[in-house]
Amino acid sequence: MQQQEIHKFLERYFHANGCEIIDKGPGYMTVQLTIDLDKELMNRPFYWHYLEKTGGIPNPMQLTLITNQQMAPAHIKGEVIHFGSPRLHQIFNSARNLAGYIRLYENHLLAEGKQVPLRPWLGMNVRVSYQCDRKRDVFKSIGLQLINGQMVENFHDRLLAMNLTPKIPDYSFTLSPLIMPGSGVFRVANFIKSEIEQEEHLWADEASRRWQKDLNLLEHFYEDAEEKGESYENEKAALQEQYEPKINISIINGGLFYLTDSAV
Amino acid sequence: MTVQIGFDSTWQDEFLKRIDDDGPWGNWELYKLAVEVENHTTIPDFEGLQAPKHLPNLTPLPHQLEVAKQVVESMNGKAILADEVGLGKTIEAGLILKEYMIRGLVKKVLILVPASLVSQWAMELNSKFFIPAVAQRKSYVWEQCDVVVSSIDTAKRNPHRDIIYSLDYDLIIIDEAHKLKNNKTKNYEFVQNLKKKFCLLLTATPIQNRISEIFNLVSLLKPGHLGNESAFYENYKKDSRSLNDDAHLKELVNKVMIRNRRADTGIEWTKRHVETIPIEFSHAERDLYEAVTELRGEGDWVSSSQFSVMTLQREACSSREAVYFTLQNMLKRQEQPSRAFQEQIQYLIEKVEAVQQNSKAQKALELIQRINDKVIIFTEYRATQMYLQWFLKQYGISSVPFRGGFKRGKKDWMRELFQKNAQVLIATEAGGEGINLQFCNHIINFDLPWNPMRLEQRIGRIHRLGQEKDVIIYNFATKDTVEEHVMKLLYEKIHLFEKVIGDLDDILTKLEFGSIDDHLVDIFGKSASEGEMRIKMENLTSMIQFAEDMKEGGMNAATGNS
Repeated sequence: MQQQEIHKFLERYFHANGCEIIDKGPGYMTVQLTIDLDKELMNRPFYWHYLEKTGGIPNPMQLTLITNQQMAPAHIKGEVIHFGSPRLHQIFNSARNLAGYIRLYENHLLAEGKQVPLRPWLGMNVRVSYQCDRKRDVFKSIGLQLINGQMVENFHDRLLAMNLTPKIPDYSFTLSPLIMPGSGVFRVANFIKSEIEQEEHLWADEASRRWQKDLNLLEHFYEDAEEKGESYENEKAALQEQYEPKINISIINGGLFYLTDSAV
Repeated sequence: MTVQIGFDSTWQDEFLKRIDDDGPWGNWELYKLAVEVENHTTIPDFEGLQAPKHLPNLTPLPHQLEVAKQVVESMNGKAILADEVGLGKTIEAGLILKEYMIRGLVKKVLILVPASLVSQWAMELNSKFFIPAVAQRKSYVWEQCDVVVSSIDTAKRNPHRDIIYSLDYDLIIIDEAHKLKNNKTKNYEFVQNLKKKFCLLLTATPIQNRISEIFNLVSLLKPGHLGNESAFYENYKKDSRSLNDDAHLKELVNKVMIRNRRADTGIEWTKRHVETIPIEFSHAERDLYEAVTELRGEGDWVSSSQFSVMTLQREACSSREAVYFTLQNMLKRQEQPSRAFQEQIQYLIEKVEAVQQNSKAQKALELIQRINDKVIIFTEYRATQMYLQWFLKQYGISSVPFRGGFKRGKKDWMRELFQKNAQVLIATEAGGEGINLQFCNHIINFDLPWNPMRLEQRIGRIHRLGQEKDVIIYNFATKDTVEEHVMKLLYEKIHLFEKVIGDLDDILTKLEFGSIDDHLVDIFGKSASEGEMRIKMENLTSMIQFAEDMKEGGMNAATGNS
């Protein structure tokens, strides 16, 4: 992530959370936090607890973030933000936490006076992690139409091209799903699993080979010992944790999307 | 093969609940941002290092990046990092740790380092790597913090020990791991019983060790890598000192160990200037030295071991206080000292009392005043250390003492005092390891250790990455004493001070005999005459030179230049 991208990202994040940016210039910004975001980011539970108990006037903090030290004026004091900085990762996590679940409607521009049906879709963004002693991740975005069971990939990209709104638009009505959301999630999970099962897992074969090799060494090491003891069991467990190939599917976010027939 | 696939169901439970409750629903902009975050933080490849992208304030050197890559990609996260002193093993370990944390492979980390380095490690991980490492000071820290730095001596004691064993660590880092060379020690046992998923052992001096020590260290990291104990010792002699003799063994060890040498890194190092300063004894000092030396001829009641005489001789070259301290101890150790023994000690104490000034201390004072900058003085003796502190104070020179036995906080404090307030740091041998003082570039070796590796470790405290000036080393050697002999006949002949540490390791391992200290004790203790001593010293020197030639010959052969 370039510094410029980080700067833009931060602006959008604070804006989306209803915070006012009270000062900004090249390479920096000062934000007036809302009460909610102060609680989310500033880690001062005692202050908020005290305030709520005593009924004082809340005074959320201002935060100055510097995204480019060369460009920011010298007199600006603040936290320097870069891709590895803990503050940025805290904000990353916060974005994930605050928007895990969503429900949106397509804001269609179809002719007025005619009732437009909106079809329910389940959208899920997931991370698939392939893990042994190393790890890699793949991002997947799946959409499932909850009436006919149609499944599409890269669903998020399609959503980005639409005009979506949290309130149902005028002259629209939603169709009831035939597939319940719970079993929808189940279908998506199975779809991803079956996709994964069809992949070739050379990495897992190799990890298992490394695992077996180290296990053999371990057995050999304790060959002469009558009581293999705790350290043997420890080492064995450690090898399993180190090498055992695993795939984990975790959900980043998702929700219900009501879309027109022509949308997908 | 079929791989087990896990599906995180926590999201779905909450999702269904929100459908029932009709919300609350997230903000579309934030939802999109979360997906963008995901796209920026997913790591699509098993290979490659992510850590450097996260560390804009750190510019790792090429060899450090190479080490990190190699450990993660071809050593499966278990390695002995054995770069020469001062090449930045901490940086390498930090890079590896960061890489694993970014990739989500490591969360819970235990870092065991010498007590004097605990704070420094925690500080460097925080400031250079943005890793929230915490120095263990309260026992709740073990459970509540993910990355904990502690000394092994604390960790191995209860209640800590039991807590640590009950926790599942993903990565264990052990600094100065050469201290775990003996598999009979409590520390070794403690580390052996830790569950080591990923593990880094850091050491600057693994190869000076005997082959059994290498076996112990590697077996700690990866049991069975060198076979089991009986099979190993069947193949390799237990006392053998040369790892290099056996190409196969060397290859095996290299699979779990990375060792960079200064010469290989292509970094421009600041120079070392070495100056030997001959010291002339005063009359009274000479008298004391001779009196101590004569003890050797005096029957077996003083001490049957050559060692005490040798110790006294070396102490006489350092300070009268050091001699006095040892004499007192000798007296105390005898339960019922004979009259003759008491008289002998008394005679020597009178000689001690006759000494009015310390010629070395005078010289040191002169030097310190001339240098007019920070200086580290190394001495082997605590009595000398205390004397020097007092002595310098008489001349208005502020100094701080440093010893291995200091508590962690005190060590940090002394280092800080030295950096900010004092001109001189006076360290005993134990203080030589585990503290970084590269803001200083003058060393006075007030007396010399008889183990060349220890000398190198002293110099390594300041001649390391981050040292911007040339390093100047003053070696004091008192004329016509054992000290001068070791200096002139051994250290200078083998060009000890111009060497870099790795060469010395290599050379010492080439020597198929015991430690250099033992040889020196033997030479000085058992030689009947000056002539005999010289011849023996020359033999030792030529052995070392021979080993050096062998090494160079070997290198030429390897590069095809022979």
